Amino acid sequence: MLEAIKMLGEYETAKSEEEQNHLLQFTGNWFIDAGVLGFVNLMEEVYGWDLKEIVRSIDREKFYYTYFIYYIKKTTFDWINRQDLSKGIDEDKKSEFNKTKENLFKEIEKIIEKILKSNSKDKNVKEQIIEVNDSIRKAIKDSFKEYKDYLKKSFSNNKKTILQKIDEIGIIINEPFFQNLNFLNPTKNKKGKEIEVLNAFEKMIFEYKIKDKLTKNALDKTISKYLFSEEEFTNIPYCKIQTLNDLDKLTNYPSIIFLLSFPIVFNRIFDRNIFFYTNNLESCYHINKNIKIRIGKAENRSSDAIFKITWESIIDYITEQKGIFSLENMYLIEYENIQQQNLIGVEYIGIPKLQASILLDDTIRENLNRSIQYRKIKKQFEWKWLLEEFIKGKPLYPIILGHINLALNEEIIPNLSTCLYSLILEANMSEFKAEKEKQNGNLFSENYFDNYKSLINEIKEDLRFTSFKASLINQISKDMDTKKRIARELFNALKARDKNIFLNILLKNMNEDKKLYSNDNLNSWIFEKIIKNDISFEMYCLILVMNLLRGEKR
Amino acid sequence: MNENVYYWQKVMGNKVVSLELWKLKNAVEDSFQHEKSDNYKQKLVYNLLERVRNNDQKEFFYILLRALNKPKENFKELWKELKEKYDVMPEEAFINFAYSIIIGIMATYSGGE
Repeated sequence: MLEAIKMLGEYETAKSEEEQNHLLQFTGNWFIDAGVLGFVNLMEEVYGWDLKEIVRSIDREKFYYTYFIYYIKKTTFDWINRQDLSKGIDEDKKSEFNKTKENLFKEIEKIIEKILKSNSKDKNVKEQIIEVNDSIRKAIKDSFKEYKDYLKKSFSNNKKTILQKIDEIGIIINEPFFQNLNFLNPTKNKKGKEIEVLNAFEKMIFEYKIKDKLTKNALDKTISKYLFSEEEFTNIPYCKIQTLNDLDKLTNYPSIIFLLSFPIVFNRIFDRNIFFYTNNLESCYHINKNIKIRIGKAENRSSDAIFKITWESIIDYITEQKGIFSLENMYLIEYENIQQQNLIGVEYIGIPKLQASILLDDTIRENLNRSIQYRKIKKQFEWKWLLEEFIKGKPLYPIILGHINLALNEEIIPNLSTCLYSLILEANMSEFKAEKEKQNGNLFSENYFDNYKSLINEIKEDLRFTSFKASLINQISKDMDTKKRIARELFNALKARDKNIFLNILLKNMNEDKKLYSNDNLNSWIFEKIIKNDISFEMYCLILVMNLLRGEKR
Repeated sequence: MNENVYYWQKVMGNKVVSLELWKLKNAVEDSFQHEKSDNYKQKLVYNLLERVRNNDQKEFFYILLRALNKPKENFKELWKELKEKYDVMPEEAFINFAYSIIIGIMATYSGGE
């Protein structure tokens, strides 16, 4: 009996291991993982399934069908939505035209819904795709017939209107990312040749025959813009090019599905395409979904606003998940667009682990999550969002310096608490980094396992002491004008980065009031933070200047 | 704040000479504690500040040593510190060195308490 239970137990573990192997997981390679998430998005978009359901149903045939349905819909929607679709329509006719477009969208949705519901087994998959394709083509032609003269030639290098384009193309699919697949070329993908395109696709997905020349199943630029073309790979003389079959071994799935889904993962936002990557499928899925939803809701679509939304989504998720979520390997991958078969403006922005750990602290994050004015150009204030600068690893000190300068000129009321947090944060971080640098080469030192938690404690302690001790400087005079004069003098010394003059002015002014100077708190604070400190003294100097502005009446 | 304990350190022969600012400041505080006149110290601080401002090391030490030239009072610890440190100190450390002394003196103001 006991043995039977034991065996059963072993069976259970064996089964779960096997199951685990077949679960869809990230590989750790962002490039493949982006495709995995793209595939998840594709299935969600077409069938409305959730992550768990999608993970269970990975199948080439299903993918083949879904992929076309998705792209036909996406391409037609993109085309109809184009800004330069029409020209010279009168105002009164314009609303009618817009209504026609709205109705067309609804009609296309209906066509797709119908075909998805019917899902008749007796019909061939290819026939179904062609049926959808033709119905949509007809719907567009019918709707735009009466606006024939108002349509602008904005397709095929400004040579065709949407009607001409739709009349000429075979399968309505347009994905700049896969321009290198020759069967999607306008000369091949023509009306009447739909079945040939579908056959070529079938060969690619089921037999891995991507191109005719060289290695037929090579993993190169034909299948992804992020790679070189086979001829360009420099190491070919030494080793063979990677093939799709090699990739299958890594993913345990037909990798072509993921490669083809790659562009779907990018959120097209304003002037760029963004994808947030981290090495966990679930987190990655939720964050990207969150970004998409928020951007959909956003009214202000300037690039700054979009940037803010993106990072807010990420930070919200990090904070929600705290312990569970790994802070490492977070990247924002962007590209502007695709021109001449090349990606333009590609950027990978990583969030350093140090910054991410600090952001987990609620008070620090809330204080940084502010925009402050930092300079004035042509009577207009310019603002900076501190959190953004922090994530990008840029120094906050120059922004605070600008902010305090505006306050000294009586242009604004300074946000002292945010300034204090930013400066102390930066001071402690630069000391931390300097310390780490010093230990370079010293492998198993105290700080080998980046002791970020203790850093946060240090920051908080410093905040407590500094906010009290530095505020004592305010007693230097009862007269606000005198304090302002001193603040201005100190600020100028600081701007010139002259520690000597700064201390000289400070001590001279303090020397006038013996009582203030005998104050041990302020005295030892100045010694510790400014005189003795050659790494971050500027930040503490600015805190003193800031404190002189406290209590100003306006 | 361990990293700031040794502001500067140098190997001379087989001896490590280090400039520990807090030690210097403490020595100054202990020594000037006995000096009762706040006005005198205030004036001294003014003079010293003026010399640091111009980066005038020679004058700075001249004024400082003159103030310490009182054999009957207890300046021994500070003498010792200065004797060891002042001539091996690098140029760029002078400002930190000087202000540590000044702030040490100022910490001893009785301040009407």
